[in-house]
Amino acid sequence: MLNKNRLFITKTLLSSLIRRRSRILVALLGTAIGATVLFGMVTLCYDIPRQMGKAFRSYGANIIFMPAGSHATIDLNLVNAATDLIPSTQRIGVTPFRYLAVRSNVVPYTLVGTDFQQITKTSPYWLIEGQFPSQDNEIMIGIDVANYAHLSIGDIMPIAGKSRQNDNFDQIFKIVGIVKTGKTEDSFIFVNFTKLESLLQEQNQAEVIELSISAPKEELQNYIAKVKLNFPSIEPHLIKWVTQSETQVLGKLSSLLYLVTSVVLILTMICVATTMMTVVIERRKEIGLKKALGAENRRIAKEFLAESLFLGFIGGLIGSLFGLLFAQVISREVFGSSIVFEFYLIPFTILISMLVTVVACLMPVKQAVEVEPALVLRGE
Amino acid sequence: MFGKMLLRVLTRQKKKSLLIVLTVALGVSLATSMLNVMFDVGDKVNQELKAYGANLNIVPKGASFVSDMYQIDDNNQATPSQFIQEDELVKIKMIFWAYNIVDFAPYLSVTANIDDKPVKIVGTWFDKHLIIPTGDEIDTGMLAMKSWWQIDGSKMVDDNLHGAMMGETLAKKLNLKIGDEFTIVAPKTQQIITLTVNNIFHSGGIEDSEIYVSLPIAQKLADKVGLVERIEVSALTTPENELARRAAQDPNSLSRNEWDVWYCTAYISSIAYQLEEVMPSVRVKAIMQVAESEGAILQKTQLLMILLTILSLVCSALAISNLVTANVIERSAEIGLLKALGASNSAVAMLIICEILIIGFIGGVIGYFIGVGFAQIIGYTVFGSTIEPKILIIPLVGLMVLFITLLGSVPALRMMIFLKPIDVLHGR
Repeated sequence: MLNKNRLFITKTLLSSLIRRRSRILVALLGTAIGATVLFGMVTLCYDIPRQMGKAFRSYGANIIFMPAGSHATIDLNLVNAATDLIPSTQRIGVTPFRYLAVRSNVVPYTLVGTDFQQITKTSPYWLIEGQFPSQDNEIMIGIDVANYAHLSIGDIMPIAGKSRQNDNFDQIFKIVGIVKTGKTEDSFIFVNFTKLESLLQEQNQAEVIELSISAPKEELQNYIAKVKLNFPSIEPHLIKWVTQSETQVLGKLSSLLYLVTSVVLILTMICVATTMMTVVIERRKEIGLKKALGAENRRIAKEFLAESLFLGFIGGLIGSLFGLLFAQVISREVFGSSIVFEFYLIPFTILISMLVTVVACLMPVKQAVEVEPALVLRGE
Repeated sequence: MFGKMLLRVLTRQKKKSLLIVLTVALGVSLATSMLNVMFDVGDKVNQELKAYGANLNIVPKGASFVSDMYQIDDNNQATPSQFIQEDELVKIKMIFWAYNIVDFAPYLSVTANIDDKPVKIVGTWFDKHLIIPTGDEIDTGMLAMKSWWQIDGSKMVDDNLHGAMMGETLAKKLNLKIGDEFTIVAPKTQQIITLTVNNIFHSGGIEDSEIYVSLPIAQKLADKVGLVERIEVSALTTPENELARRAAQDPNSLSRNEWDVWYCTAYISSIAYQLEEVMPSVRVKAIMQVAESEGAILQKTQLLMILLTILSLVCSALAISNLVTANVIERSAEIGLLKALGASNSAVAMLIICEILIIGFIGGVIGYFIGVGFAQIIGYTVFGSTIEPKILIIPLVGLMVLFITLLGSVPALRMMIFLKPIDVLHGR
């Protein structure tokens, strides 16, 4: 008899515990979901416009340097000093260009000397068949040149011209690549910058320098003003075609992200609140019983406050971790780079989720404590 | 009996049921709006990327690049040797992908003298009204393609044969303002034309030292009536893939099937190919800077939206099923009573599932409309146009609600089966 009684007590205790546990789990899951969304979306909102800006750099250079006044070229040392004004994290690429009129089998062409490694950064859209020249006797030709002269990869091409000192040169080059851009590059011949320098017998000079900088328009304009002031022999130009359109499209994309974020946030927060409310509403009986036993309204409210604060804290903490994970996954998948996140967002997330749980808990509690305990205990 | 009980459960627990309906509605509206935006974001962003202007350049087939490059040699006169017939331009709107051609504009440039100084004059269509032989009517021209130009003065129209748009640099050099008159001397015919400055523009490129006039004026100056030098086309395209790249190299290397797929997809290479088909004497060049970057940005945006949509789907699913679980668990007393009165497990399960499904359905319908509303708000604020609600989303969301609510009630049903009526009725 005794044994049976004890068994019954443990059983009811256990079942109550289990039931209670599942309720806490439900509430915790709700707050954690809210916090995950909050943390993840805010982090993404903060970081994605920056990352998108980087993606927009695939449109190529947004600033060019040209020689000021009557000079034909700019000293590259000056260019290096000028580009050092930009933080290295924003500097995507700096490509020098040097042009020379040459002839090949009496046909006139333009030979362009450039840094191919920088080309891949400032002009990632160049469509290249074959590869970039790596040796000094290798060249890359534009698709129009290839079609006009019926040349293909592996062919050789004699090129003749004059250096700055008026010495004639006539050398044979091997074609290793054909470039296609749909613009003027299609009719040029490209060679290593250093090779062109040795043909020209002139060092460290360039006619045009293309810069790709990951920064908003205002910063670029500031930078241009700074260069104009400090380097009178450089004439910097903003490529309006690129910057203007980038500002416009990037603005739209950012506002899309902000709107989506706010919609998601509002809806999730309400979802969390309703879940919390349901969990609390079902405890009306408990509140009624406590009141019947003589508990003050304030005391009951305090109890629930403490409970919801605890839930909000734990949920916010778990949510921050998952939110970071999820923001990281999205950033890696979409942009292939790690997300930059602010540490202060963690306490911020925890605070907000505590606020939401407290508000969601206290609203039904307030209603419940105002009702006569007898009514609550009776059922309706 | 069953119906009565169901009705009673729904009406008696108004407040709780209302909360569940609200949560389901919110979750569904989140899913609906995100799905709607996701399906439409590609088109919308593609449209936005048209701000970068033309992505195709049409030039005459035989155009020798040498003369193009060395145009200064010939007594400062740009004299391209090949031209495109102006009449052929309407054919651009008659290809398979005609609807994807957003805008196009022809150009004819001629070097004429102002005060004995050579100046490049470019004739073009500004915003021309065209009637296509297929019956369509369109407005097309340069102004829509050069969104980054900053233009002062009233809008230039094509019928204005006495007006001109002058580049900022040139206007400064010649000391001209809007409304001022200037005379141009045609190089070959020595004809004199007087024009008024209608606009002064800033483009940030070489165009700033050029003058843009209506096409007939440039044709008269160049003595090339009915001819244009090149055409810029702005087309909506699908991002390139492996197939498109192979086709761009050589369309003949594709198998029959691949060729069909390629031809019927709006790749930039297939649009270029179709333009060459209708205009046999031209060569169509894709401007890689625009085409390639467009693809990259479009793919990134779409991927981002897809991932965000998946996230919000998962979140709303979790939230809904969480709430459903909470709701069923708390009703153990009621379930215990039903069981004590002799209801079988399956009958009770039936009751719970039916109730949840009805609530889910009501919430889902409300949520769907709220979601479509949210999608429209996003569409209007961000892109200034409506987001077409896709029919496909309705069954998708319906399935989601069904699945989630059922999944949410699984733990509760399991608990219900193992529930002993005596334990529950006893209280705690």
